Amino acid sequence: MKKKRFVYPLALVAVSLLLLLAACTPESRSSSGTPTAATGEEPKVTLDFWTFWGSETRRPIIEKIIDDFNQSQDRIMVKHTYLPFGDIWTKNLASIAAGNPADVIVNDYADVNLRASKNQNTDLSSYLAEDDIESRFYPELWNNVLYEDKAYALPFNTDTRLLYYNKEAFREAGLDPEQPPQTWAELEEYAQKLDKKSENGYEQVGFYPLWGDFGVDSWLINGDGGNGYFDESDQAAINTPGKVATLEWLKSWQDRLGRQTVDAMKADFGSGVSDPFISGKVAMYIQTGTYNTQIEEFGQDLDIGVAPIPEREAGSGHWSSGGGFVVEIPKGAAHPEEAWEFIKYLTDVDAQKYWAMENFDNVANIEAAEDPEANENPVYQASVENLADTKVFQVPLSASGYKDLINPHTDAVFLDKETPEQALEGAEKDVQALMSKNQ
Amino acid sequence: MKTTAQARAPKHARKKLSKLARREELQGYLFILPWLIGLFGITLFPMLFSLYGSFTDYDVTSRMNFIGIDNYARMFADDPLFWKSLYNTLYYVALMVPLTTIGSVLLALMLNEKIAGMRVFRTIYYLPAVLSGVGVYFLWIQLLNPSTGLINTMLGWAGIPGPAWLSDPMWTKPAIIMMKLWSVGGGMLLYLASLQGVPSQLYESAKLDGASAFRRFWHITLPMISPVIFFDVVTSFIGGFQIFQEGYVMTDSGNGGPMGSLLFYNLYMWNQAFGLFNMGYAMAMAWVLFVIVLVLTLINLRMSKRWVYYEGGDD
Repeated sequence: MKKKRFVYPLALVAVSLLLLLAACTPESRSSSGTPTAATGEEPKVTLDFWTFWGSETRRPIIEKIIDDFNQSQDRIMVKHTYLPFGDIWTKNLASIAAGNPADVIVNDYADVNLRASKNQNTDLSSYLAEDDIESRFYPELWNNVLYEDKAYALPFNTDTRLLYYNKEAFREAGLDPEQPPQTWAELEEYAQKLDKKSENGYEQVGFYPLWGDFGVDSWLINGDGGNGYFDESDQAAINTPGKVATLEWLKSWQDRLGRQTVDAMKADFGSGVSDPFISGKVAMYIQTGTYNTQIEEFGQDLDIGVAPIPEREAGSGHWSSGGGFVVEIPKGAAHPEEAWEFIKYLTDVDAQKYWAMENFDNVANIEAAEDPEANENPVYQASVENLADTKVFQVPLSASGYKDLINPHTDAVFLDKETPEQALEGAEKDVQALMSKNQ
Repeated sequence: MKTTAQARAPKHARKKLSKLARREELQGYLFILPWLIGLFGITLFPMLFSLYGSFTDYDVTSRMNFIGIDNYARMFADDPLFWKSLYNTLYYVALMVPLTTIGSVLLALMLNEKIAGMRVFRTIYYLPAVLSGVGVYFLWIQLLNPSTGLINTMLGWAGIPGPAWLSDPMWTKPAIIMMKLWSVGGGMLLYLASLQGVPSQLYESAKLDGASAFRRFWHITLPMISPVIFFDVVTSFIGGFQIFQEGYVMTDSGNGGPMGSLLFYNLYMWNQAFGLFNMGYAMAMAWVLFVIVLVLTLINLRMSKRWVYYEGGDD
């Protein structure tokens, strides 16, 4: 009798502990593996490659590139793991902290230096010493992967912004469709000619600077001679005359159209067929090079042209802004040499050219980007040429989090709560306070 | 102080536990052992770690040096966004809790009438509470559209020009509160149940004495359901302070919206922890929030003695 009483609860505890252990083992990540027919006799090294490219368009492309790599040699087998865009960053952080990170990961270009300072990616200098591939990349992009003059990632792709304009609308308004606006003054002039007003609002707005993929920060670069918020010596350069003038110019557009109109129209914008440019609500629209795929899918009847971003005045420069992604080896990855082989392949001409041609995305490898076959598409060619004027900025480490301090001030300008001078003065003061705290 | 043998007996009885009783006690502990392991491993240990971490410059992957109260000092003296995010959260809680409580109570009162088809009405009013998550936020982004959204259209019928709900910093938090009011059905259910527990003879005798509907409500209904109101207020308070998703989803990549008006405390903490890797600082923020909520809950508990009426006894 006594034994029975003890066995029961003990068995229950054992079972529940087993369940606890089962629940606590690391979950197998969802992955779509490439065929694992291993024919070689040497032990294969398997690499885990994390990306967030799971869409119907991108996934097959990256998986073909991985497949090509796997077929091209015997030692390394790369496995693709897809993680959703927001999740991938936190999972990466957690896995590095836990000591079992991915072998290669696609990460954001903007904070390579922040991650490097926090020991989250691997210094590639020793690999580059034997294999100096720096020259295959655009110099602007190369600067962004440096931390203390050492490379911690390789640039993979980038983008640039162009002015898309509706040639049909130009003809209707009596403008020459082959002569897009070159300067801010021309831009304003053409925009006003392209405005089509009706009793209850605008049927077509010629142009509004902040609709599209060119925000206040991008315009401030364009209007201030290609200079971002921080100058060469990592000092804050926010309250400059060029930027104040730019902000005033941007505000004048809102004053002319009326804030209510701007907000109301913007809220109606969608994507696909209800995209403002594709549906004809806006005649000129700034967007990235890959926007062309949307036009080809949803707006085949449109007669469009692209142009570099208008410069402030003749000669000040058609500055555009860009972003992009890099490939890096998380710190603590098990097979860094093999991972290096793979990222070398990813950034080499074949893989990059395939990516460029299938996606119409701007790639980091110069030879692949300027390949004549890809450049047959005029919009793509324009985007590649535009890279020369595209600024891609690295944020100084002491200013991490600067956006949350600048944006409220620039928002305030468009809400009539601060003048452009006050806004930029306030923003510079706040950012400088942040930087001195972090020194 | 009673010092009779009777008072001491229980103590002696404890010591002399029979083998049977002791074994049963051990079995009891074994049964709850998994939950205890969970409590210590998943709740208490991380809390203590985070308390320690808040006094360091922990950034998950590269360092964890003890820096004393630097994080807290920086938070209170040097961080305008901390005060802004705290203000946003307090504003939200201060408006949301009374409005949703009053809304739930009124709704429950109305749905307590014996009208034909009342079940249908109750279902309809409860439905929004069932929906949750990102889909609801996108639904509301459509509803709050300044020119074509339903909200402004209906305001337009009443002759009021609706504001740009999600672009105007003055109206973004009220928009979120409106969203929360839409799902008062959840609280309504609680109140409905407790309303039906109010004995009808109280109402009858009040009517006999000539009490008006309002006096019946104020002097009978409210006190009788006050324990449930108290529960609802405390949980709403605690839940309200945790607001995060609305700020994260409805603003541009979690940046906190027009002029930082939707930068809630938890959202700012998230940005610090996972965007800038200032994990130690974020841990300090978490503990500050914990202390604030704890203090407010204790205040709530003390004040409850004044207005909560427990039928079971006690004063």
